[in-house]
Amino acid sequence: MTAEAITAYSNPARAVALPFSGWALLKWITAACIAIVAVFPIWWMVNVVFAEPGTPVSLNPRLYPTSFSAGISKILMIMQETDYMKAYYVSVAYSLLTIAGVLIIGSMAAFEFALFEFPGKRILFATVMLSLMVPTAVTIIPTYLLTASLGWLNTMQGLVVPGLASAFGLFMLIQFMKTIPRDMIEAARLDGASHFQLYRYIALPLSKNALVTLAILTFMKTWGNFMWPLIVAPSPELYTVGQVVGLFNSPYSHQTVDIVMTANLLAALPPLLFFLIFQRKIVEGIAMSGSKG
Amino acid sequence: MAQLEITNVSKSYGAVNVLKNINLEISSGEFVVFVGPSGCGKSTLLRMISGLEDIGTGQIRLNGQVVNAVDPARRGVAMVFQSYALYPHMTAFENMAFSLMIAKEKKARIKEKVERAANILRLEHLLQRRPGELSGGQKQRVAIGRAIVREPKVFLFDEPLSNLDTELRVQMRAELIQLHDKLKTTMIYVTHDQVEAMTLADKMVVMHGGVIQQCGRPLDLYDDPANKFVAGFIGSPRMNFMDADVARVESDHITLAVTGALKQFDLPFRGFDSSLRKVQVGIRTEYVGLSEDADSAVSLPATVAFVEELGDVTYMHTDLPNGERLVVRSNGGRYRGGKECVAQLDTTGILLFDEAGERIRSAS
Ligand SMILES: Nc1ncnc2c1ncn2[C@@H]1O[C@H](COP(=O)(O)OP(=O)(O)OP(=O)(O)O)[C@@H](O)[C@H]1O
Ligand SMILES: [Mg+2]
Repeated sequence: MTAEAITAYSNPARAVALPFSGWALLKWITAACIAIVAVFPIWWMVNVVFAEPGTPVSLNPRLYPTSFSAGISKILMIMQETDYMKAYYVSVAYSLLTIAGVLIIGSMAAFEFALFEFPGKRILFATVMLSLMVPTAVTIIPTYLLTASLGWLNTMQGLVVPGLASAFGLFMLIQFMKTIPRDMIEAARLDGASHFQLYRYIALPLSKNALVTLAILTFMKTWGNFMWPLIVAPSPELYTVGQVVGLFNSPYSHQTVDIVMTANLLAALPPLLFFLIFQRKIVEGIAMSGSKG
Repeated sequence: MAQLEITNVSKSYGAVNVLKNINLEISSGEFVVFVGPSGCGKSTLLRMISGLEDIGTGQIRLNGQVVNAVDPARRGVAMVFQSYALYPHMTAFENMAFSLMIAKEKKARIKEKVERAANILRLEHLLQRRPGELSGGQKQRVAIGRAIVREPKVFLFDEPLSNLDTELRVQMRAELIQLHDKLKTTMIYVTHDQVEAMTLADKMVVMHGGVIQQCGRPLDLYDDPANKFVAGFIGSPRMNFMDADVARVESDHITLAVTGALKQFDLPFRGFDSSLRKVQVGIRTEYVGLSEDADSAVSLPATVAFVEELGDVTYMHTDLPNGERLVVRSNGGRYRGGKECVAQLDTTGILLFDEAGERIRSAS
């Protein structure tokens, strides 16, 4: 260390400007510890998958992947010898259709609720809000019976349609659209925009952030939804990823632990990627739905 | 011929009468300003003309056609809002082009019209910016541009300058006058600022409590107000008002005793209703001075409360013995302290009002 650096460090005014004061260091260490705890299971999963069977749990455990090719061959095996790909397809379709439906229905309904007066608005809104307070456990059986009497058991629409009316999404979008100034809507009306054009050109683009957030939250929810697919679509044709992973994990399954881990890893991958891509939006979205909902 | 006729229009929200029997005619090309204190119904009237608000009772006619049931977009009016109401997700160009896009105009036509408007408003270099990247004055110009491209028969402005700072407001005011000269379109402008109203208006409509108090050329309203409200509302500082007793009524003059004045004085007046014993005297500050040379002057002892020195003029706010406020104007002279003074009223500037505040005019 040069003399110059020493004087710089001992100068209190300069010391403050340095990136690591003691307090900041402490905070970083704490954050790192929490991060390690959170990341370790995922890391362990990767570790087990990309290793020769047994290596990670041997007497001399390895904390890092040792065999890339072993991992690949396990993944290929799952893809080829089980219906995993099909489950992927079902889950993706289920998620995307639900997202599209929730966004379209929610934004249209929110547009009317937030920006216009109509007879019965308060009652309707109260009904929607009431449904927010009823837990899924209560509604799932009537919903199932209804779906069944529509003849939608073991169909994609049976999977998707009941999830389209999202009271939470509606509430979030209403709160967001309420912030659109009345003047702006009136200006657009004077500019000749029809009711639908107000929605299409003003309300929808201005709610982009809320819509993205809602899409992400909906994805997280549908991808991880286990119970509804389990009861409404029990046929193997419509197994979602969640159900297939469940089969791997079941007590009588003959799969070894590393194959089960591979299945888990494949199931966790899409939400993980999703999270990495939309990280900022998700945090914003949770803050938004928290502070406004 | 009147381009816009408002006949017997009233409006109420529930039990509240917001506008009461409004009658108004506006000719083509006029710059009309609605002015009045907050809550007097200016915006409501403007919004009824635009179609954003239902017309309660009465009729509004545009170019001879009743528009009560005509859709806002088809009335041929364009509105500029106080909040600008620009679409934040569109560029200035897209904001201005929006109505044309909705009307399915050809791309080339849209570009041409928007560029023409941008040229008038000196916005060419800002067309690709979004509202968030524009200053207040620039936003206001884009909002005006959005109105111009629609080529409306009537422009409606609802306090468009009140979000701007004073300097910019003065500048935008000048630009609006130029714009009106250039476009020669009817403009209706709402403000609660009487200075803005005086500088812009061909015709000024003073409103109060949902009623049109008076309308006419700004200086006519200034010189010859119809009632105490208009007299007090127009002009800054406000006109002074004092109570006076009618001492004598003759055929060509009356004698008044202003409370607190040193002597009674005569005022030329014909046809005074001799049953009136009390009147209110209104006098603008330019007729109230400190010099004693005017022989028509009435002296009024007063106590100085505070002084506004603006350089060219000095306004002395004084209290009369009965507690009323009298503003004295002194040109040139500087205030040198002192509490007591004697205000001189030049009686040629006196206007009379009855106790209900209606103007009493001399029969000519
Ligand atoms: N939607 C409404 N419901 C009930 N009352 C209303 C409504 N809109 C306006 N008013 C009332 O009507 C009156 C006139 O309102 P308006 O907005 O026309 O006033 P204004 O003259 O434009 O005032 P300002 O200078 O403050 O803008 C006010 O007393 C207001 O409270
Ligand atoms: Mg207003």
